[in-house]
Amino acid sequence: MSDPYRRTISRREALLRLSAALAAGGAISAGSIFFHDRRRISPTARTVPDWRTNEAHLPPGAVAHGDDPAANVRRAIRAMGGMERFVRRGETVLIKPNAGWDRRPEQAADTNPEVIAELVRLCRHAGARRVIVADISCNDPIRSFEDSGIGPAARAAGAIVAAGSAIRLVRARTGGPMAGLDIMGQLLDADRVINVPVVKQHSLSLATLGMKNWFGVLGQGRARLHQNIHHAIAELAATFRPTLTVVDATRILMANGPQGGSLADVKQVHAVAAGIDPVACDAWGAALLGLDPRRVGFITAAEGRGLGRADPRLLKDLGTG
Amino acid sequence: MSWVRRIRILYQAVFLILFVWLLERLIRGDLHNLPYAIFHQTDPLSMIALSFAAGVIPGAMIWGLVLILMTLVFGRVFCGWICPLGTLQQLSAWLLAPRSRRESLRVNRYRRWYATKYIILVVLLVLALAGSLQTGLLDPLSVLARGIGAAVWPALPGGRPMPGGWLAAGFLFGILLASRWIPRLFCRAFCPLGALLGFFARFSLLRIHRDATSCTNCQLCTVACQGADEPLGEHRISECMVCLNCTVSCPEQAIGYNFLPPAPPRPATPDLSRRWLIGSAISALVAAPIIEATGGGRASARAELIRPPGALPEPQFLERCVKCSLCQQACPTGAIQPAIFQAGVEGFWTPVIVPRRGWCEYTCTRCGEVCPTQAITRLTPARKTGTDGQPPVRIGTAFIDRGRCLPWGMETPCIVCEEMCPTDPKAIWLEPVTVRRQDGKTVHLQRPHVDPARCVGCGICENRCPAGAHAAICVSSVGESRDPLNNLLLPRIPPAARKEPLT
Repeated sequence: MSDPYRRTISRREALLRLSAALAAGGAISAGSIFFHDRRRISPTARTVPDWRTNEAHLPPGAVAHGDDPAANVRRAIRAMGGMERFVRRGETVLIKPNAGWDRRPEQAADTNPEVIAELVRLCRHAGARRVIVADISCNDPIRSFEDSGIGPAARAAGAIVAAGSAIRLVRARTGGPMAGLDIMGQLLDADRVINVPVVKQHSLSLATLGMKNWFGVLGQGRARLHQNIHHAIAELAATFRPTLTVVDATRILMANGPQGGSLADVKQVHAVAAGIDPVACDAWGAALLGLDPRRVGFITAAEGRGLGRADPRLLKDLGTG
Repeated sequence: MSWVRRIRILYQAVFLILFVWLLERLIRGDLHNLPYAIFHQTDPLSMIALSFAAGVIPGAMIWGLVLILMTLVFGRVFCGWICPLGTLQQLSAWLLAPRSRRESLRVNRYRRWYATKYIILVVLLVLALAGSLQTGLLDPLSVLARGIGAAVWPALPGGRPMPGGWLAAGFLFGILLASRWIPRLFCRAFCPLGALLGFFARFSLLRIHRDATSCTNCQLCTVACQGADEPLGEHRISECMVCLNCTVSCPEQAIGYNFLPPAPPRPATPDLSRRWLIGSAISALVAAPIIEATGGGRASARAELIRPPGALPEPQFLERCVKCSLCQQACPTGAIQPAIFQAGVEGFWTPVIVPRRGWCEYTCTRCGEVCPTQAITRLTPARKTGTDGQPPVRIGTAFIDRGRCLPWGMETPCIVCEEMCPTDPKAIWLEPVTVRRQDGKTVHLQRPHVDPARCVGCGICENRCPAGAHAAICVSSVGESRDPLNNLLLPRIPPAARKEPLT
């Protein structure tokens, strides 16, 4: 390397420079071939898991009446075989209330907070590692969770509340009317899912119950599902298969749903149903609203797709406790 | 003139003519399937930036590898022998400013600020890594295609006016004019493709070598140097465009273009300090999320942002479009225009359909055929129109403005939109009505309605609407196939919805 303007270079330097060029060419070629035509146009879509447990020999559902919502929950779950049957030690449970609206509990627009809190306690007692209470509210999520009482009650019972910016949205492999909609990531990550709707009238679908409660796990753009709502709800029910459906009928909203507001529209029913047949649970809720479940489009559509049976009598009545 | 120089000029002329000829054929609507995108497909800057931004090198873009491998062997021969923008600059430097030897010696010296191109390259590549592909703004092939397509061609007899083209014209002619003062100023100081090739040229096997024993320091080599890489002093291999002017101008034959010659020591002044490199990379990293969040291109679908048929969803589209403007030249009706404001800051000069300028021809798939990066995917006419059984490719939906529409607002017969509608059955249907006008006469009218399930958003209705400057039927991007959320109607539920056993 003494004289830069000498005529030739040493064999060693020639080899070094040749291999440097070769390495550069090899690296860029390998990189190009690696990236060539890789089909990564959209991020990988998650699949929606099936959260049901082995349900052989279980009744489709059970209904408990009584003044204490928490006691109703306990009795209904016990009749289903106890929470231990559904939640195993170390699992993550997601509880999906209807916390869609900035309303107080007595207005019956959201799931009763005592029902949610009792479910959280039962899951914790069954050994769940984490219990997450999550919903994508229609109103401001912070106000919805606080004013409905669901947020404070769930936290006090030992749950993690996920609302608003705490909700992760992920792309999932869904079809039909849900194509392109994001889904709550916490839901897809959960080991078990308990769907806890409140019984409400709805001007388009006639009733807001368990299967319609899945609207609350969808991201932006879900409003367009209203175009063919009965079919869309049946599609939701076929996509999301919960471990348990717990229908809160402590107070139900008979008119001006699903948002309500007037206490004149609220009827005190003091009942809670728990079940593994989401269609039967919804049929029971529809009957409370004075509807014939056979005339509610999404219930018959879901039954037609084999997702359950549209018969409220399938739920075992435990009477007043 | 030596034979080496003659051969080089021949190469440059052939590639320049090929580039302009292909563009001219494309604009004229030559129905032959010529390799219109060949220059853009062999562009290693696009190739590498695409793999950074989109994680993919689509289709023929892999040919960029050929240029890189060529550079590893020969140095930046692309710049000196192929690049049509380089050739044009060289031409304008020669035409605009005949120089004395003394002047040439002065303008062909290396200047430290020529390292600006490396900063530009780093900024563009970091932006690409952050998901914003902006290499096309300064890529010489895109610059030239835009300048010719959007500015030169519209000005020629028979050319179609293209609003905004003056920006491309200003850029192109500014670059050419700059060569009056410093030859190949854009190549030397600003070209990100040249910078990228300059990086690979550091490894090149064949390179300029000066034999110091026979050199008399006459400086004739520097007088003729295209790249300002100082063959006389400490030769800068990454700046050298391999024009070989130095070898043929040396009276002593002291300069040769040899295989693995002894390398002179690296120049004393660094091309680019590490501080500058890291600083520009960090600035780009900071700028990228700000541009993405506030540039107005990504937040949500916009009514006037109608992308060509087959375009990818907007974020993926922005990761791939290199703004080469080939789709704009390919469009037979002039519907595809450069987006000046419609697509946000990131989407500047990306293609957008302006139905008042032209409509999307029903069975035409030319824009996707010429798109080098497949930001607009390739369609067949059957796929585009939906005759293959799948839903057709929609780019938007037409809406009727009843206040402007002749039969709706003025009780005057007109059926132009319905007549033009290409779908089968037509997406515009006519409702026959009989109305009494102000003067008491009754008129029979046919009032148009849009069936959103059939409308593909081609825009021929808007283009032909006789309602003056502001059409009475306008296409909005809603309903576009590429964005499932920007839709009025639900996708149809497959008839064979799965039936599950009772549990």
